[in-house]
Amino acid sequence: MTAGDAVIRVNGVSRWFGSVVAVSDVSFDVRPGITGLLGPNGAGKTTLLRMMTGLASTSMGTVTVLGEPVRDNPPLYRRIGVMSEHETVYGFMKGRAYVRAMAKLRGVKDLERAVDRAIAFVDLEDVQHRPMDTYSRGMRQRMRLAATLVHDPEVLVLDEPLNGADPRQRVHFKSLLERLAADGRTIVLSSHILEEVEQVADTVLLIVNGKLAASGGFRAIRAALNERPYHVRVLCDAPRELASAVVRLPSVDAVNVDPDGAMVVLSRNVLDLQVELPRLAQRARVGLRRVEPLDDSLESVFGYLVES
Amino acid sequence: MTGTVFDIGYQRYTGRREGRGRSRKAIFKDGFRTALGFGRGGRAKVLPWLFIAVLAAIALVMALVAGAAERIGGPGTAAEAGLPSHSDYNGIASIIMFVFAAVVGPELLCPDRREGTIHLYRVRPITGSDYILSRYAAFLLVMTLAALLPQVILFLGLSMGDPAPMEYLRRHWLDIARFVGAGTAMAAYATGLALLTASYTTRRAYASVFLVGLFVVSAPFTLGMAEQMESDAGRWIAMFNLTNIPVHVNDIIFNDVSEVTEDSPVRELPAWVRVAWYFLWTLGPVGILTARYRRLGA
Amino acid sequence: MEPVFRLTLGQLTGRWRIVIMAVLAAMPVMITLMVLGADAPSVRDFETAILGTMLAGSIAPLVVLAIAGAAFGNEVEDRTLANLTLSPVPRWQIALPKLLATIAIAGPFMAASAFLTAHVAYLGDARASLAVAAGAVAGVAMYAALFVWLGLRSTQAVGIGLVYIVLWEGFFTGFVAGARLFSIRYYAMGVAHAIDPRRFASADLLGPAAAAAATLVVLGGFFYLTTRRLRTMDVP
Repeated sequence: MTAGDAVIRVNGVSRWFGSVVAVSDVSFDVRPGITGLLGPNGAGKTTLLRMMTGLASTSMGTVTVLGEPVRDNPPLYRRIGVMSEHETVYGFMKGRAYVRAMAKLRGVKDLERAVDRAIAFVDLEDVQHRPMDTYSRGMRQRMRLAATLVHDPEVLVLDEPLNGADPRQRVHFKSLLERLAADGRTIVLSSHILEEVEQVADTVLLIVNGKLAASGGFRAIRAALNERPYHVRVLCDAPRELASAVVRLPSVDAVNVDPDGAMVVLSRNVLDLQVELPRLAQRARVGLRRVEPLDDSLESVFGYLVES
Repeated sequence: MTGTVFDIGYQRYTGRREGRGRSRKAIFKDGFRTALGFGRGGRAKVLPWLFIAVLAAIALVMALVAGAAERIGGPGTAAEAGLPSHSDYNGIASIIMFVFAAVVGPELLCPDRREGTIHLYRVRPITGSDYILSRYAAFLLVMTLAALLPQVILFLGLSMGDPAPMEYLRRHWLDIARFVGAGTAMAAYATGLALLTASYTTRRAYASVFLVGLFVVSAPFTLGMAEQMESDAGRWIAMFNLTNIPVHVNDIIFNDVSEVTEDSPVRELPAWVRVAWYFLWTLGPVGILTARYRRLGA
Repeated sequence: MEPVFRLTLGQLTGRWRIVIMAVLAAMPVMITLMVLGADAPSVRDFETAILGTMLAGSIAPLVVLAIAGAAFGNEVEDRTLANLTLSPVPRWQIALPKLLATIAIAGPFMAASAFLTAHVAYLGDARASLAVAAGAVAGVAMYAALFVWLGLRSTQAVGIGLVYIVLWEGFFTGFVAGARLFSIRYYAMGVAHAIDPRRFASADLLGPAAAAAATLVVLGGFFYLTTRRLRTMDVP
């Protein structure tokens, strides 16, 4: 299998519960690297992830992982690691015992070394001999991650892994993910924390109302949303003067001037704006203080897609 | 630096703010609905309504049999033949009532503690005893309805089976008062014990099995021990037959003897002792529950 | 399979649970001791009341319900079942250790209870005691298979199980002869009868071959259903 081949292939997948359609005709491929699965609450992300890992069946369509159907195919779980969104663990078990039991269940050879490595990876060596109901939420999440990684799976599917993690842990977690991806693994991660996903994910899948709203790199998605003009905020000495000049540009849709003097330019061609704006400012003898894009972020892409 | 509040259309609540009474009513209503499975889909309704159906069916069968006897043998046959009547019903149905309480009672208390939603109640302006007493009242209402509905069916069946229903009513109106009293007594007893047990565990399953086990095992155990002991000690031991405690009260109210309590040495004890014992086992749990939940309360 | 077995043992045992089980297991023994002292009942009454009704009909199924119902029931309720199903083993290797762990916990208590009760009642007759103990183990195994499946299949497992125990085993099978063909209690008594024909001689039971077959059908049938459910269910 070459690096470009799809590791996870979701084909025409739908899932309904009675008369409620949770996932509707979704198709996409997941390749090695980090893929972020995003969407508002109730969009169907968890249902989709459960179908991708064989925990739930599809009402229609197929899911294959590493070339094999994932449902009712236990041997495939040797190569997949899954962390669900539920935080419950076997409270009475000590952390190390839990990771060890999971390792044994997944057929890991050289047990103690693998467990040591997994626990070191999540930085919980100090507490591994304590029962897990004495752990904080973040520690439980990390120990669960250790159990998910202990059998060194090629494919990792993580549902809201950052739930309950404090900022420091989130930074640590991001670097863990990057290390894992650098080894050639395929990671699918669902999250609400857009900034983090923006920073680690190569590809993003946006699910809205059970349907796949967009997929790809988020900047590419943004560019594809061409019925949405970019918003650029300009702070200058004489906003209204500059505004009257800017509005004449063919690449500009509209210009708004706030009561406190900030100018927001709506344009479909920022490249053109980038070139013309300083020229216009110079000609009008208006000093430009600040030019910043307002919606060059995953959050705004998300917002646009969710709204529409 | 100044702060600004943006009016984005959020509107404050300007209506009436009701007090603890409203909260208590809400907890009561929620408990009642949970016990009977309202608002939670078909599956949640199966068990509670199955029990109610079985209880009603027993009463219906009793009424039909008595009616048939009356018709065949003339009025008074049923009583002569010693066919089961209102007072016997409670004895017969007691085990089913206890299992009902064991299965449904924990639903009102265990999930809140298991899921942690009890804390949502704690941060409201109600006390822990508000919570538990409202839940108790809700379940008591459910159990009372379950206890009385079959008796009403039986009464209607007997009166209609009688060739002169109005006469029957006139002669037996006191029965209504009696079975209401006895039924409520049974309901209160089962409610208290079920909820008390449920307050000691977060898993409904364990509470239910423990309760049923308690009822099912205490009967033969105390009976066996009572036979061993001499008369006085034997009587006191037999008092711990948990299935019979409300049935003794039933017997006192109807001034009759049920099948289940026929052989019990407890019958030799004076009535006030049996009644006081009943109140201990009915009000005691309420007191313990209130004390336990007061600690959990706000 | 060993990790699942050990995990289940850890989940289902606990100080209080062991104590309650020990107390319940002791009850039939104590009652027998007490009852023998006074005017001893006939063998038939004893077998019907203490062994048949109390032990096989109430104590054993209740104890097994609490444990077996929780074997998968707790995992489903706590949403930890995925930990087990996400392993690369055939589903029966998840179902079997759960079942065996349940039997390993409840079995010894019920077997000891049955053995001691019979030992006291039949005045040290070894064959009788072993027969009754074997019947108890068969009963525990069958109830375990049923309730493990029920705990996986339904969130109302305990309610349904209690209705089965109290209404079916406790009530119907006592009165309706035909119902005994579908009663785990009677199968268990049949096993005891097969080993020692003097025991439960008065009850209307299946013959030895039928009792053995019924035991295997119940065990195998519910075990199969459990395995199938693990394969086809949506794991929470």
